[in-house]
Amino acid sequence: MSSGIFNPEVYGLLFFGLLTVMVGVYLLLGYRNLIRIMLGVEVISKGITMILLGAGLHQGRPDFIQALIVTFIIVETILAAVMLGIVIISHKIHVTLDIRRQSKLKG
Amino acid sequence: MGTILLLLLVFALILAVGLAKDLLKAAIALAAASVFLSVVLFHHGAWVAAVFELSVCSGLITVLFVSTISLTKDSDQNEEAKITGYLLPAFLLFFIGVDFFALKWIGKFIQPAREIAQAATGTAGFSAEFWGSRTTDVLGQSALILAGVFAILALFKRVAKHSPEGMKHE
Repeated sequence: MSSGIFNPEVYGLLFFGLLTVMVGVYLLLGYRNLIRIMLGVEVISKGITMILLGAGLHQGRPDFIQALIVTFIIVETILAAVMLGIVIISHKIHVTLDIRRQSKLKG
Repeated sequence: MGTILLLLLVFALILAVGLAKDLLKAAIALAAASVFLSVVLFHHGAWVAAVFELSVCSGLITVLFVSTISLTKDSDQNEEAKITGYLLPAFLLFFIGVDFFALKWIGKFIQPAREIAQAATGTAGFSAEFWGSRTTDVLGQSALILAGVFAILALFKRVAKHSPEGMKHE
């Protein structure tokens, strides 16, 4: 693992953050269950948190990036709550969580 | 070195989320990943963010996931394509290669690291940053929380109209 311009810890945060985002995108694209897709979104958010922390440490502004991470966590929580609400509603209507059968969500 | 080991642990748990067949185990693996991520945040002086990550991400979101899983447990979970789980380790090698070259490429456009502007002394710097410089963010977050509450209310009100029990009452 060559760190180059980054110090090793920042490189580690950026490396694993980007890798986690890729795994999250894989979960989003590869699975059909709505809850697994939501888990994919959460995995992506974990990766983004790592990347934000790495970028903040690289810039030498830990307080600024901490404020952004807190904002991001709140956004992530609201997203999870609303999406899981949609999953429960969808399950009540279709009795399945298969995303291929979610054809009646339009208003 | 400690950070790298913690990040490896977080990533192993993230992989467990992808590979676990049981949704409940996947949700618990995600919670454990959040716990170790909060340790990483704490280790780097982001104390408030670490507390948020620990309480909200590994606590509240896990409760939401477990509740949703238990409310929808009668759904069919065997319709996943099995090849998706098998292909993940193979794709992982590809992802690592892409990641390595992406960071090398990005490194060309990034300026050298700066010295840390101020040492992390408690939460004073964070408070000044959050309430002083990022006031618009705080307003946005408040609006977002309200929007989320109204969205949940609207969603469950709608179900009451569509469900047979709701129709009986009407």
